[in-house]
This record gives sequence, C-alpha cells and structure tokens, in this order.
Amino acid sequence: MRGADKTPCAAPARAAVPRSSPRRPAAAAGTTLGAADSFFKSLERVTDAPGGELRPLRECARLMSVQQTGSVSRPAGGPLQRLWWGALPEALSAGCVAVLLAAVGALYLLTDDAWEAAGAGRRLPDGLRWWWGLITTAAVLVIAFLYWRLRGQARPLAAVQRNLEQLAAGVERDLATLALSDALGQVAQGWNRLLGQLGEAQRQLRTLSAGPTPENVLARFESVGFRRVLDRLPFGVLCVDARLTLRYVNDAAAVWLGRPAAELVGLPVAQVVDNEAVRQAVLAVRTRASSLSIDHTQTDGEQETTLRFRVLPPEDGAAGGDVLVTLEDIGALRETERARDRFLYHVTHELRTPLTNIAAYAETLTKPEFEDEQTRKECYNVIVSETRRLSRLVEDILSISQLEVGTARLNVGEVDLARLLRQMVQDNLGAADEKQIDLTLTLPPKVPKLRGDKQKLSVLVNNLVGNAIKYTPRGGQVQVKLDVTEQGVRIVVRDTGIGISPADQARIFEKFYRAADDAVQSVSGTGLGLAIAREVARLHGGDITVASALRQGSTFTVELPLTRSESTEVARQ
Amino acid sequence: MSRILVAEDDPHILRLISLWLTRQGYTVVEARNGAAARDLAQAEPVDVLVCDVNMPGLDGLTLIAALRSTGWVRRGVVVLTNRWDHGDLRERLAAEGIQVLPKPFSPTRLSEVVAALLAAVPVEPGGRESGAP
Repeated sequence: MRGADKTPCAAPARAAVPRSSPRRPAAAAGTTLGAADSFFKSLERVTDAPGGELRPLRECARLMSVQQTGSVSRPAGGPLQRLWWGALPEALSAGCVAVLLAAVGALYLLTDDAWEAAGAGRRLPDGLRWWWGLITTAAVLVIAFLYWRLRGQARPLAAVQRNLEQLAAGVERDLATLALSDALGQVAQGWNRLLGQLGEAQRQLRTLSAGPTPENVLARFESVGFRRVLDRLPFGVLCVDARLTLRYVNDAAAVWLGRPAAELVGLPVAQVVDNEAVRQAVLAVRTRASSLSIDHTQTDGEQETTLRFRVLPPEDGAAGGDVLVTLEDIGALRETERARDRFLYHVTHELRTPLTNIAAYAETLTKPEFEDEQTRKECYNVIVSETRRLSRLVEDILSISQLEVGTARLNVGEVDLARLLRQMVQDNLGAADEKQIDLTLTLPPKVPKLRGDKQKLSVLVNNLVGNAIKYTPRGGQVQVKLDVTEQGVRIVVRDTGIGISPADQARIFEKFYRAADDAVQSVSGTGLGLAIAREVARLHGGDITVASALRQGSTFTVELPLTRSESTEVARQ
Repeated sequence: MSRILVAEDDPHILRLISLWLTRQGYTVVEARNGAAARDLAQAEPVDVLVCDVNMPGLDGLTLIAALRSTGWVRRGVVVLTNRWDHGDLRERLAAEGIQVLPKPFSPTRLSEVVAALLAAVPVEPGGRESGAP
C-alpha cells in the first residue's frame, strides 16, 4: 500500500485534466472581471451627476473591482472569483478519488502482467480482475463527468465576458445577457441583483446625459421635480411641437382648457383652442425673435373667460424646436382695472365736492355784494368745515387703500379695550352733547387684554360711535357696550337713529357706498368709515355685522377673537 | 320776478347758489333731490332749472327730460356736473341747448349763464325782469 500512498503526490501529471479545467475558466474570469471593472469605470467617467444618483453603480463597481495585474491567485478577489474557487474543493476531492482509483487499477494490471510474464504464476482470480476493471471504468466516468460539469459552468461565464467587453467598448447590449443562472448559487444571485441595480442606474444616466432637445429638457425637469413646480404656477404653460400637437400641458392650462392634462397631451392645438390666431401664432413665431400675444374669449355656460396666449419662439431658434405658450386669465386683471377705475372715480368725485365748496365760498368772499357780516361768517365756516372734510377724506382714502392692498401692517401690542372705549366715548362726548344725545358706555367687571393694533382699533370704534351720533336725531341715545364671549370680545354700538334699509345693510360696508336716503345724504360723510372699520376687524381675525330697521335705530356688532390666529395675519400680509 | 329752481344734493352748494341768485334778484326755489325738484316745478313752472347730475333717487338727466317734455321749465337749463366724462356729456347736452358747468364752478360764471338764458329768450309781455338787480 505504500505505492497507493504515494499516488496523490504522483498524480499531478494524470490529474491535469480536472485541475486545468477550473484554471482556464478562472483565468477567463480574471479577464471578464477586468472588462467589468473597466466598464463600470467608463460608466462612472461618463456620469457627472450628483453622487447620490449613481450610488448603486459605484457600489457595483466597488464590489466587482479586481486586481488586473498578475494572476487570480487570491480567492478573495471578488464575487466572481469566489464563484470559481468555491467549486474547487469539490472538484479536487472528487478528482483525487478518481485518480487514486485509476492509479491503483493501473498499478495492479501492470504488476499482475509483470508477474505473469516472469512466470511467477501468481495471477489474481478472474472475479477480482473484473472488479478492478469496473472500478477503473467508474473512475474514468467520474473524471469525464467532472470535466463536463465544469465546462457547463465556464460557458455562461465566457458569454458574460464577451458581453462585458462589448459593453465596455460602448456597444449597446441588453444587461440581461450578463445575468447568470440563479442555480449557480448565492454569489450568482448577488451578481444578478447588482445587474438589476446597474440597469436602473443606466436608465437614470440615459435620462440625465441625453442631449438638450426639448423633450429631454422636459424629461430632466420631470426627474428633478420641475413638473411639480410647473403644475403649481398660477398661469398656464403649454409646449407645442413642430406638428402643432401639445407635448406638455401644466395644471393651470388644463383647468382653463377644460380637460385633464393627460387627455390634452398629443392633441393638435386647433382641437384644443378654438382660435385660428393662436394656431397661426404658433407657426409664425418660429421665424420671429419676439413673442406673440393673442387674447381669446371663451364662454363656458354663463361664465366668460378671457385668456391671453403668449406664444414664445423656440429657445435656440431651431425651426423644429418646441414652442412654449403661456396662458393667463386676463379677466381677473381687467376686473382689477375696473375696480381701480371705480375707486379713482369715487375718489375724484368725493374730492371735488369739498373743493367746489371751498372754491365757491372763497370766491363769494371776494365779491363786494356779499360784504355783510352774516354772509362772510357763513362763508368762513363752510371753508373751514370743508377743509376738514377734505383732510379727513384724504386720510380715509389712504387708510382704505393701505388696508385693502394689504400694505397696512398691524402694530401688534397689548390693547386695554376698556381704556380704549372710554377714550373714544370721551372724544365723542362733545358731538353728542351738541345734539343732546345720551352717549353711554357699559363695561364688564373684568376685561381681558387683547393682542392687536391700538391705533387701528381706535379708528374702528371711533368710526362706529361717530356714525351713531351722526345718524341719530337730536335727543336720541347711543349705547356702547363691551361683552366678553367664549371666543373673545364683542363691541356693540347701538343707536336710536334713522336706521338702515335691508337693501342698504347689504352694501354699507362697501367703500364709498352711502344710502340714498335723504336723511343720510344730508349728513356729510365719505362712505369709507364702515369699510375701514370692517377691514380693521378682519385684520384682527374678527368681523363686523349690522342689525337695523328703518327709523328704529341700528346695532353694529364687532367680534374680535382674543388669540388672533397666525394664519390670519400671514394671509393678510 | 324770474323763478329759478335749484336741484342740488350738497347742502353747501345749494345754499351758495341760492345766496348768489337771490342777490341777483331772482326767486329761488330749492330742492335737495330730483323728485322734490319735479314736484316743485309741477306745482309752479320755473324759468330756469339749475341742477346737479348726480343726485339720489331721480338723477339730473332724468329730471331734465321729464321737465322739458312738460314745459314746466320755460327758458333754459344749467347742469352742474361732477363727472370725469363730462366732455362727452357736455356735447350731448349742448346739442339740446343745455348749458353745462363742470364742478368746481365759479358762482360768478353761473350767475352770468343764468342771466344770459333769461335775456336770450323772448319774453312774454310783462313777464320779463332784468337779470341784474
């Protein structure tokens, strides 16, 4: 058995077949991994996108990296190598057993024949000879099986190598051709997962690095959330291609065009906008440097909308480029202009009345026929009162425009409402006494401090108390009352005056609105006091209401919350 | 004595016109709105109507149309206007022979216009008074 002991050592010459099989694919794997590594590196070079986007790709390259110089002698070189070296012990042990058996069989036959030739006559029984033959055949079969199996593993790897080399050389290949059979074990499955991540990274890369054609610009917008930004714009955005079909529609445009954006994309412009001028503009703008503007009025039921289409030429002047169209609802703009005109009309009208009086009475003073003391005194009085009216009017106009435009900032502080009301009542006592009006103030025992603008709240209260006195006949009553409610405080100003008709109640808080009633018209006023009062109340998160009946008096109620919500303040700014 | 109806919603302007025209020697009838003016003219016809355009209730233009068709205003109408677009209005009224004075107006000018209206129109026997006192 010493000979048998020695066989493993002598085996290499005979065992060259099973040993060389793993070596050749292993060397091939080395080349394959080199190709994979350079492929990943080339991908990384192409990409200059932020690191986060390509993390899976970098991870892949790191895992796959191998030392390209020298042999693949280190089994821990990478997953592919581990795939190869993992099969080695199995192949080695099976190969050793096969070689041992073959060697023992050969040795026996040699010695047996030698002895027979020497005439020793010591031959083994025939049965035993058969057994030896059988064992030798089995050994050869095992060797053949191992060779076949290792070649089976080598073939897909060789294919992977070819595809990787082509990929690295820039040939478009489907990543699926790099996949290994999952039957090759965990490492093969890991490799396939990496391929999946690589595929995803490639898709992102393609999106990011594509050329600057409009659809790619749009694709890039999408990938970084620009579409969301476009969809939130208050004006419409359309992208029209050279065939006059819509390539992109943002949310605002979709609303005005009356259909979901998804339905509009791909439709011809003519089918979406019933206006030949818009279609012509999209065509004409390609040969122009400046944009074109078209106003289009459309009616949806009773509602009429005027849209302004602004057609912008392609950015690079390319004839085939996309035309960008912006859309805005100028109906709102026109309404604003009308409101401004109305405001201006009222302002000039209101300013002219005192100016007329001042000018006419001043002229009267210059005439010798009006020299009597009584007429002169009357003229002076009118001039003085009308000058005051003019100055009050200017102040009111300034206040209301600031309040309405939202430039009025609340100078927020702690307001002692009880004190404020006492002060306002005190200020109006003179006017009340003049008309023998009984002006009273009722306060609760304890008044919480309110956060608000003291000066503006004073104007609010003063306007209400002043109105109550102005529109209450001689000998009437005006009651001012403060209540503490669950939500905040309530200021009530009640008078026994001329009252307000239901139709006028709905409009008295509008600027410049004054009831047509003779009793109202005979009292001077700007028609702004209540509008200002309401704006101030709303600026404090509250509101103002009126309850009244003609000739029975009016009650104005102001509700103010104690904790003014931040949202109200923000909304108003 | 010529009878002048003044329809004006602003009390100060009404008082001023009344003051001036009274000093000219006319009989002045005051109205604070269109409806009151119509009723006064109906009660006793007037020679000249001086009226504001913007008045509560019955406005100046409606009042003029109503009074002219009835013949309650015998000699002429002077319109005081506060409107920005009075250029347009003036042309329209001038075509009907109506005088327009934009506010702020000069009371001296108003007196002259009223005097001219009274002087220009042929007078019924015995009914004519001098424009000036």
